[in-house]
Amino acid sequence: MTTTLAIRGVTKQFGHGATSVEAVRGVGLSVESGEVLLIMGPSGSGKSTLLSIMGALLRPTAGTVTLNGVAISQLPERDLPPVRLREFGFVFQDFNLLAALSALENVALVAELTGTARAEALRRAGELLTELGLAERVAFLPDQLSGGEKQRVAIARALINDPSVILADEPTANLDSSNGHEIMRTLRAVAKERGRSVVIVSHDQRIRDIADRVVWLEDGQLRDLMTMAVDPVCGMSVEHDRAVTLEQGGELRFFCSRGCRAEFLGELDGPAETRPARTGPLASLFQAVRPKTP
Amino acid sequence: MTAARLALRSLARHPVRLAASVAGIALALTLTLALDAIYTGVANGLTAYIDHTGADVWVSQAGVRNLHMVASWLPDTVVDQVRAVPGVTDATPILYSTDTVAAGDDRGVAYVIGLPPGAPVGGPWSVVDGTGQPTAGGVVVDAAFARRAGVTVGGQATVMGRSARIVGLTEGTGSLVNSVAFVPFADFRAARGGAPVVSFVLVRVAPGAVPEAVASAIEAKVPGVTAMTGSAFSAGERRLVMDMSADVIAIMDGIGFIVALVVVALTLYIAVHGSRHELAVLKAIGARNRVLYATVLAQSAVSVAAGVAVAVGITAALAVVVPRTGVALEPALTLASVARTAAVGGAVALIAGVLPIRDVAHVDPLTAFRRGGAPA
Ligand SMILES: Nc1ncnc2c1ncn2[C@@H]1O[C@H](COP(=O)(O)OP(=O)(O)O)[C@@H](O)[C@H]1O
Ligand SMILES: [Mg+2]
Repeated sequence: MTTTLAIRGVTKQFGHGATSVEAVRGVGLSVESGEVLLIMGPSGSGKSTLLSIMGALLRPTAGTVTLNGVAISQLPERDLPPVRLREFGFVFQDFNLLAALSALENVALVAELTGTARAEALRRAGELLTELGLAERVAFLPDQLSGGEKQRVAIARALINDPSVILADEPTANLDSSNGHEIMRTLRAVAKERGRSVVIVSHDQRIRDIADRVVWLEDGQLRDLMTMAVDPVCGMSVEHDRAVTLEQGGELRFFCSRGCRAEFLGELDGPAETRPARTGPLASLFQAVRPKTP
Repeated sequence: MTAARLALRSLARHPVRLAASVAGIALALTLTLALDAIYTGVANGLTAYIDHTGADVWVSQAGVRNLHMVASWLPDTVVDQVRAVPGVTDATPILYSTDTVAAGDDRGVAYVIGLPPGAPVGGPWSVVDGTGQPTAGGVVVDAAFARRAGVTVGGQATVMGRSARIVGLTEGTGSLVNSVAFVPFADFRAARGGAPVVSFVLVRVAPGAVPEAVASAIEAKVPGVTAMTGSAFSAGERRLVMDMSADVIAIMDGIGFIVALVVVALTLYIAVHGSRHELAVLKAIGARNRVLYATVLAQSAVSVAAGVAVAVGITAALAVVVPRTGVALEPALTLASVARTAAVGGAVALIAGVLPIRDVAHVDPLTAFRRGGAPA
């Protein structure tokens, strides 16, 4: 794996003087090819700002952005559109498809902007949409598609110029959980099968399990990189220092909740139906410390 | 090409807005186009006799260069002098006067032509009933005039203060302002007191002879005359109307230009503001500003082109419909008039298309990430 995108000491200040806001402060990050990086953090923490800087849409006040060895934060404005067009694929929360164009044309347009002939652009767009399971929807206008379908069209649009990096800002925020999951699996497949770097910004906890790495942004600053563990009961990814832990036989286990830890202990104990009901906040606490019974 | 397609799709997405703007442009341009067609129709009517009568050269009293508004009187000895000029095949004297023709309840201005018997030129060119050669006591009148007056061949008409029998009906001899009536040369002369004068001598030139050269030869050999080719004489006549209308047309062009510009500029402004979010998305995914400018310009061009086409269509339809309503006017749409309107449209499209460039340039691609954009 090679580093595709790296940012170093990136700071972004909006406005001047008393009303100025430092949306991002001294952030350093890098993404490898084939890697899914998840940037999490509360609303207003600077995630979108950081993503815009990574995607050459916003110039940092300080620091550098390097794409495949080129310091793109130093390029003059007139050189940036081709970089955005060919090296980045953007996926937005609101899908942002052009309402007047069909799914196929929305995807093909981005290839046409690079000078690709229309027929070739349409052919590639058709292939991509078919791969993403939208073969039957190519002629539909965005208004005629479901949210999940729109987001898959947006992913196809992001992929058509074969960019190095896919940048997705809250891609599942407008989707229900099953569609959201589907989109996440698709984004993960993009990283793994195509060897692209995928950077996802989200405050959606459900997304964590598809990420290779999660970073936490708060007040524009990265908090320490968290190592993730998988809850052995429900399969969710959990951060070490936020997990419920259990030390057993010299081994440390991490759970997403006390309930899962209790269930884990219960399964060791015996059949589920013999376990007492776990209700109320104290119930799981009780179970967690319940002495073993033969 | 991508820009043009984007422009077409964006326009098609708001059919009502597009229709309103095309209608506005069309209306603004139709005003001028229709007025020009009417003037041209009037001029055509005015020169119909000159254009169709078949004379290669018109010989008039020295200094007289029009049929209208002036009188031309030549001694009739001039006819033989003209006939003797090399290159002249035949020379036909006619008498001409603007008078009124009355029949039934109708009364109208007419160019009255006194036509010698057997005249090779100078007579009517399209006879629909009776004869084209008026005989003593007879008159040939315009068929549309006769229809309005409720008379036909064999009926009575009053011309030059005398009663005459209608012996023939002709076509293409009526216009909004006047018609053409033909009486025998001798009757005309008698009505005017019998003086040995003619108004014009109509000349045909020998095959292969150049009318301009023959006209010059006539002026050189025959004293006291002006000789002009038929086409020069017609053009001079046409200029009488067109000079008068040119200022009006120019003013109308100016008004049409301003109205169309306001309509297009306003619709484009609304369109650009309505699509700010989509423009931001296009910028974010890497479209260059000039692609977006081209899209806006193409929208402008397409709306204006449609407006020009509709205006031309309406005027062409007027040209067909108006004469059928019985009005003696055939509005004529000329290529020059269409070209001028297209040029006005081109200027409108260009200016209106360039005005929103600042707005487009100022769209921030970052807004693509904000909520509350396009629902799609
Ligand atoms: N263009 C801007 N001008 C001024 N302040 C901005 C601008 N964009 C973002 N901010 C501010 O920067 C901070 C981070 O915003 P953002 O990156 O959108 O956070 P997030 O995506 O994590 O919700 C917020 O306080 C926001 O108000
Ligand atoms: Mg955000």
